[in-house]
Amino acid sequence: MENLQALFVEAGTLMFAGMVFVFAFLGLLIVFINVVLVNLAKKYPDAIVEARSSSKKNNKKQDGNGVSPAVVAAISSAVTQYRQNQSVKK
Amino acid sequence: MESLKVLWLSTGLANFELGQVIMMLVGCGLLYLAIARNFEPLLLVPMGFGAILTNIPVAGFSEVGGLLHFIYYAGIDTGIFPLLIFMGVGAMTDFGALIANPKTLLLGAAAQFGIFATLFGAIALNLVGLDFSMKDASAIAIIGGADGPTAIFLASKLAPELLGAIAVAAYSYMALVPIIQPPIMRALTTVEERKIEMAQLRHVTKVEKIIFPLGVLMMTIFFLPAATPLVGMFCLGNLMRECGVVDRLSSTAQNELINIVTIFLGLGVGSKLSADQFLNAKTLGILALGAVAFSIGTATGVLMAKLMNKLSKEKVNPLIGAAGVSAVPMAARVANKVGLEANPHNFLLMHAMGPNVAGVLGSAVAAGILLALVG
Repeated sequence: MENLQALFVEAGTLMFAGMVFVFAFLGLLIVFINVVLVNLAKKYPDAIVEARSSSKKNNKKQDGNGVSPAVVAAISSAVTQYRQNQSVKK
Repeated sequence: MESLKVLWLSTGLANFELGQVIMMLVGCGLLYLAIARNFEPLLLVPMGFGAILTNIPVAGFSEVGGLLHFIYYAGIDTGIFPLLIFMGVGAMTDFGALIANPKTLLLGAAAQFGIFATLFGAIALNLVGLDFSMKDASAIAIIGGADGPTAIFLASKLAPELLGAIAVAAYSYMALVPIIQPPIMRALTTVEERKIEMAQLRHVTKVEKIIFPLGVLMMTIFFLPAATPLVGMFCLGNLMRECGVVDRLSSTAQNELINIVTIFLGLGVGSKLSADQFLNAKTLGILALGAVAFSIGTATGVLMAKLMNKLSKEKVNPLIGAAGVSAVPMAARVANKVGLEANPHNFLLMHAMGPNVAGVLGSAVAAGILLALVG
């Protein structure tokens, strides 16, 4: 019975130490994410995001060259219509 | 006449013992659960078949020199198979949801209470005549981590004689997550809480995903080296996935390698399902404690999420706390399903993946603690 009591005490200690450690470890991981990873993300954003923003810039440049989005849309819809007509004929 | 007698004595019918027949039926039961009920079939099919093979009289599958003997000692006794599986799991895990909402790590931590509370339960069973040492209790308690490879790894180190029962309990309850968890989740939350819609997660960059496994490994090296076999292999798999330069290795780890190792792991665990090791009161105790561990882990995860919802500025649906027990991705799907029942526009899957993968890390850390303190 005494042995059992000692086991219970050991289990209690293990439970306390274990939960404190798990929370401390994962808590530290939260700090790691919030401090290190978030800053890294700001410093090194994804290449895809950069490509998107650069393509937007290119679009703006093209806009500056005089081709308005309305014209582009009109040409695209005309091309689509033409292709549809071709496929109907076939 | 003499040769006929020898021939008869070499048949299975002449050598069968009742225990072997019962264990073969247990093996058939596992096959039934896997094939007819789709309960963790990838592991239960080889495990159930391994149970049948190991109980064949005369053939000596699990005796020294037998196939299953070699598989067990080469892969499970050494800890190699569960660690290779863990590498594959790492290669399949996307930490994006966790990095986007890091406070869900606390949910993964809270759900590990199921493990440590079950320690008490296992010791308490000594009051009713069972004889569990602290090592046995720790190996049983890890069932609450809802992580098969972790449970097998720890059991093979702390209580190899209980490995069969622990593995069967761990995988059975992982398959039963959709049945065990929802009643507990509904009992501990109000309809209003279950309806809570959470804010969309931010975009996580590639650099974050690459540095994360390295950071986790560094922290484990500094604070809990006992957990580095598990965490290290997990992080290696995850780094191979995220770094983008070893797609072939990543693909192998999450497909061919994990499939091959799963076959041998199942057979090896099945070889431990022999009558003398399985047909005793301890197995019943382990099965009961496994259910308790899962239930307590689910409850503490949900309660932690409720607390988080009360204290934080951003709303947290308490249902995602239940995913903290790991059991990836089943527990996250269950959280999503129960959420959808309350609010058909509420998709919690991605939010629940955060605590879900946090639970994997949490149970690996808990296993490391048990190894360091008890092993």
